[in-house]
Amino acid sequence: MENKSTKYMNPYLAGVLLGIVLLAAFFFAGRGLGASGAVKDTIATCVITVAPTHAENSSFFGKYTKKKESPMKAWLVYEMLGVLLGAIISGAIAGRFKLKIEHSPKISSRTRLIAAVAGGMLFGIGSQLGRGCTSGAALSGMASLSTAGFVSMLSIFGTAYIFAYIFRKLWI
Amino acid sequence: MGPLITQDIIGGQWNFVIAFIIGIGFGFVLEQAGFSSSRKLAGVFYGYDFVVLRVFFVAAITATVGLLFFSYFDWIDLSLIYVNPIFLKSAIVGGVIMGLGFIIGGFCPGTSVCASAIGKIDAMFFLGGIFIGILLYGESFSLFKDLYYDKVPVDKMVFDALGISQGTFVLILILIALAAFYVTSLIEKKVDKVEY
Amino acid sequence: MNIKYVISASLLVLLGVILAFLPEKSHTTEIGPDKLLSELNDETRFVSTDKVADNIINGVPSVQLIDVRPAEEYNKFSLPDAINIPLDSLLLPDWQAYIDQEGIKTIFYSNGTVYASQAWMLSRRLGFSNLFIMKGGLNRWIETIMQAKEPDQTASSTEIALYEFRKAAGQFFGGGTQVAGSSTNTKKKKKVVKKRKRKAAAEGGCG
Repeated sequence: MENKSTKYMNPYLAGVLLGIVLLAAFFFAGRGLGASGAVKDTIATCVITVAPTHAENSSFFGKYTKKKESPMKAWLVYEMLGVLLGAIISGAIAGRFKLKIEHSPKISSRTRLIAAVAGGMLFGIGSQLGRGCTSGAALSGMASLSTAGFVSMLSIFGTAYIFAYIFRKLWI
Repeated sequence: MGPLITQDIIGGQWNFVIAFIIGIGFGFVLEQAGFSSSRKLAGVFYGYDFVVLRVFFVAAITATVGLLFFSYFDWIDLSLIYVNPIFLKSAIVGGVIMGLGFIIGGFCPGTSVCASAIGKIDAMFFLGGIFIGILLYGESFSLFKDLYYDKVPVDKMVFDALGISQGTFVLILILIALAAFYVTSLIEKKVDKVEY
Repeated sequence: MNIKYVISASLLVLLGVILAFLPEKSHTTEIGPDKLLSELNDETRFVSTDKVADNIINGVPSVQLIDVRPAEEYNKFSLPDAINIPLDSLLLPDWQAYIDQEGIKTIFYSNGTVYASQAWMLSRRLGFSNLFIMKGGLNRWIETIMQAKEPDQTASSTEIALYEFRKAAGQFFGGGTQVAGSSTNTKKKKKVVKKRKRKAAAEGGCG
C-alpha cells in the first residue's frame, strides 16, 4: 500500500501545480479549465455533419450551425487533446499504462462498466444543465470566486456524499 | 497585462496552441495526482483517500490567491476573466445529477479522459456515457429549457452573495480548507485502507 | 505532523490575511474609471459604417446592432435587424440580457456618435464586453452608404473599390447612388424586424 501511494505525487503539491495551470489558463486565455464543453463541441460537430437539417432545427444544436467556424475549433477541444497527451506523458513516466477495468472486488467487470456508462450519462446531462462539470463549473468557478462555482461544487459533492452509502458496493 | 489573448497581446492564433499546452499541464497533473483511478477518486466519499479534496481545494485556492495578487500588481485585469453566470436552479439540479453520476461512475469528464489515456477501460465507457448523456440532453433540450434559463436573482460573485469582502472570503476559504485537510487526515488514519 | 505542512499552511494563512487587509481591487465586473479612460482614447471601439453594412449584407450572426435612439425615430428609420433600446431604458434589466452577450459583437448606433458613445460607456461600466460604436452614426451611414460619392478619376484603386462596395451596399439597403440624394428613398426598404433574440446565457459546457 505504502509504496503504491508514494508513486503518486503528493496531493498538496499536485494541488499547487494544478492551481498554477489554472492560473495560467486565466492569465493567458482569460478563462478556466474545462472538460465537458469539449465533449459537447465534439457532439455538436458530429450531429451537424451527420444530420445537418436536424441540427438546424434543434434548439440545442441549432446555435452551433449558425456559427461560421466549426465548434471543433473551440478552446476546450484543444485543451482536452492536451489533457490526453499530458496524461499519456505522466502515465509513461510513472509506468502506469495498462489496459484494465478497475472495480471493487465485490462487483464484476460488467457491473462496473454498466455503472461507468450510467455515471457518464448522468454526468453528460448534469454538466449541460449545470453549465459545466467539476473542472469547468466547480474548480474554475471556485477559483474565479463565482457563486456558480461554489453552488456547483457543493451540489456535486453533497449529492455524492448523500448517495455514497447506497452505492458503497461499487467501490469498497 | 493579462489575460493576454483576450486583450490581443498575444495573437488569437496562439489561442489553441496555449489551450493545448495548458491541457498538457492539466492532464499531467491530474494523472500524477492519481485522478486516473476511479477507486482513488471515490475514496473521498468513503474516507479512505482524500486526494480529491486536497488537490481540488489546494488548486482552487492557489489559483484564487494567484489571481488576486496578480490583480493587485496589475498583471491581470479581472474584469476580463470569464466568470460563470449563476443560474441557481439549474446549477443545483445539474450538480445533483452530476453528483449521482460521480458516485455511480467514479469519474468526472476531465479525469475520465485522463484515465482513458492510460488504458482504463471503465474510463472509456464513462466517456462514452458522457457522449450519450449530452446527446440525450441535446435532443431533449426543450424539456430542460425552462429550468436551464430559470434565473433566480443571486449575486454573480460569491463574496457579494454572502455580503463580505473578497479578501475576507478568501481568508475564510483558506481556513476552512486547512481545517478540512487536518480533519480528513485524521479520518484517513481511522478508516481501513482499501487496496486498489 | 510534518513540519513541511505546517510551514506551507502558515504561509497560506499569511497570504490570506494579506489579501483580507489589502485594499479591495474590484473583482466585480464593473470596470474602473482609469481603464475606461484608456479605452476611450482607444479607437478600436469604433466600427466603420462600411463594416456594419458588410456585416448586415453577409448576415454575420455574431453581430447585433442596437439602436439607442428613441422609439419614434427607430420606427421611422432603422438599420435592418437592429434592436431598439432607447438610451434611457438601457439600464433596465430586461435589456441588459441583450447587451451582456460576450460571444456577440454589440454595435451601438444613434444619429451621431454622442448617444451611442453614452450607451457604450454605460454598458462598459457595467462590465459588458465586446461592445462597439458605429462611427459617425446614421448621419455617416447616409453619407457613405446611401449616398456614396464617386471618387475622382485619380483616386487610388482601394478608394474606387470602396466606392463600388458602398454603391452596391447602398442599393442593397434600398437607397443608392442611382437615385442620388433622395433621402426619402432610404426609408423605403426599412425592415422593422424586431429580433427577439435568445436569452443571454453564456453557453455553459465547461467554463
